[in-house]
Amino acid sequence: MEAASLPTGDRRSLLQRSPVARLPDRILKYGLTTLAALILILIVYFFIRLTGQAGPAFSKFGVFGFAFGNNWNVNIDHYGALPLVVGTLVTSILALIIGVPVAVATALYVTELCPRRIRTPVTILIELLAAVPSVVYGLWGLFFLAPKLQPAEKWVAAKLSFVPFFGGGSVTIPNDFITGLVLAIMILPIVSAISREVMATVPADQKEAALGLGATRWEMIRLAVIPYCRSGIVGGAMLGLGRAIGETIAVTILIGDEPVLGHHLFGQGYTLAAVVANEFGEATGLHRSALFAAGLVLFVLTLIVNGVARYFVTRAGRGTRVLPTGNAGGAAATAVAASGAGV
Amino acid sequence: MKSRNMVALPAAALLAMGLAACGNSGSSSSTSASTSGSTTPATTASGSITGAGSTFAAPVYMQWGSGSSGVTVNYQAVGSGAGITALETKTADFGASDPPLKPADEAAIAKNGSPAVQVPMFLGAITVSYNLPGVKTGLKLDGKTIADIYLGTVKTWNAPEIKALNPGVTLPSTAITTIHRSDSSGTTAGFTGFLAAVDPAFMTKVGSGKDVNWPGGTGAKGNAGVAGAVQQTVGSVGYVEQAYALQHNFTYASVKNKSGAFVAPSLASTTAAATGVTIPANLGFAITNPTGPGAYPITSQTFIVVNQDLCKAGESASTATGVVKFLEYGLGAGQSILSAADYAGLPAAILSKAKAAVASLQCNGSAISAS
Repeated sequence: MEAASLPTGDRRSLLQRSPVARLPDRILKYGLTTLAALILILIVYFFIRLTGQAGPAFSKFGVFGFAFGNNWNVNIDHYGALPLVVGTLVTSILALIIGVPVAVATALYVTELCPRRIRTPVTILIELLAAVPSVVYGLWGLFFLAPKLQPAEKWVAAKLSFVPFFGGGSVTIPNDFITGLVLAIMILPIVSAISREVMATVPADQKEAALGLGATRWEMIRLAVIPYCRSGIVGGAMLGLGRAIGETIAVTILIGDEPVLGHHLFGQGYTLAAVVANEFGEATGLHRSALFAAGLVLFVLTLIVNGVARYFVTRAGRGTRVLPTGNAGGAAATAVAASGAGV
Repeated sequence: MKSRNMVALPAAALLAMGLAACGNSGSSSSTSASTSGSTTPATTASGSITGAGSTFAAPVYMQWGSGSSGVTVNYQAVGSGAGITALETKTADFGASDPPLKPADEAAIAKNGSPAVQVPMFLGAITVSYNLPGVKTGLKLDGKTIADIYLGTVKTWNAPEIKALNPGVTLPSTAITTIHRSDSSGTTAGFTGFLAAVDPAFMTKVGSGKDVNWPGGTGAKGNAGVAGAVQQTVGSVGYVEQAYALQHNFTYASVKNKSGAFVAPSLASTTAAATGVTIPANLGFAITNPTGPGAYPITSQTFIVVNQDLCKAGESASTATGVVKFLEYGLGAGQSILSAADYAGLPAAILSKAKAAVASLQCNGSAISAS
């Protein structure tokens, strides 16, 4: 036993020391409790102020009338947020559909197939995607990506015009598809990082057992890695969804401004975050109150998404699998809880 | 040991980047006015004043306020509505608004202790810019045709309505894509105000205002967004502020005015549009579809709004002197640099009324001399 590893200071037991010695403990307890309570109070205060400002809009249209009303018309001062809610969900789910497979694929590549030497540079490059500011994504998407993709979009819209969501409208440069695509790129680093973390915890003996029984590499991944990581991947996807729902400036630049239901993939849409960003500067009276209400609806939507995410993650983590899955589910649950909505 | 460090470092970088990215997306909303509602006036060191309001007038005020007037101005381009609110809550020394004050706003400003004074500063115009290779600038359009284009009833460039106005020009059969502003803007208000005045169908179907529900067309954010969208899309038409269009050599249409002449948007035709407009007593005029042979029909104005007795409303004497100095410069030497920035100055009649309004500004009952 080396002297350097023992704690310095008074080594008598707590009961032998004076009460003053217990003061730091008390300060710690009450100080940390106060800080934690402050955070809770801040969230509640934030919620209350939002509701207060949104009051006029809710009293005029009713809470459900506002959230599910189908007409957002500033000129006649009528505000119903359903097209915005649908637009938010459409772009976010599109981002998930495009982004999660790619993110899981990159995570699989990095953990299973990548040569050790380039593993870290590849990881860093993927994480760099998270460092690009949101507005840069929006401008890049609008001025570079959208014009380049427009001929392909027009071709797809023409070929699939009989499918209700794909065809049947004009192809504009800012549209739902481009927004979903750029959002997918933005959520890639988060989903990829969490998937990678979870895949790294797969016990080696499971993988070796599959390989030992004669599985090919793909079969090993399919049988040993992915089922083990499913809850973690779902948790990461929900985190990405939370970020996509709240994303503001990139979506504002890329979505156009059509608060109408009946979206089609290559036409404009509108989201809750984009309408606030676009209209807040000149909004007065009922209009401003309606924008606060839209913000409140967005807040509640994000809370619901996070709640669903936690439910799926913990339920999948407690699944009927015999193998110890606590690690994967626990890691993902902590990540979901720690980053909140990720916005 | 080495491999552990190599894992720890990117993990830490990942965490930091993840947090930074979360922070970025959370705070990347558009700028907004700080309407904190404090009762202390927004005074700073002597020789420096704060203003807030119109994004349209921002380049000019920032240039005037960068020292050539002798006063340093901190100007926040947060939009006309937010600018008036900033003056009401005394978070800015002056407010800048494109549309004239509504009676409710005048009353709210008067509550600070002194009635509101609107000083017209300069004029601007909204061009109808298009992207049609092979067709030079100066395509003739009238208000009804522009309204039909935006309503979607005129769908191609070689439609009979456009052909009738341009007999000698070969027009391609390209489809027309209309571009409009997706954000709330005074430019939209000016453009829709003109279209609603000349076309009753547009008035009923779309209406006029800072934010309207356009029937079709593409929305782009900001003046630069509309301009960029017009440049990118062949066959598109969009409404772009005159200063921007002139600086970047856009192709724009000559619009038919009330007297029947097709006028191109130039600085001279913009000033001509304000000649002959009836000016009310509080100088709060709005140019809508003006008469006059050389007038460009889609013209707008911008005001600076202050309390008449600045000191009674809470400003210090030095700030009041600074504001008056800035206004006098703007209406004097400042008018001559407007054309260099591609903005149009006020016609002589309105200019003299504006100068008289500035001369009437007081500090605690006595006139302010800004020398």
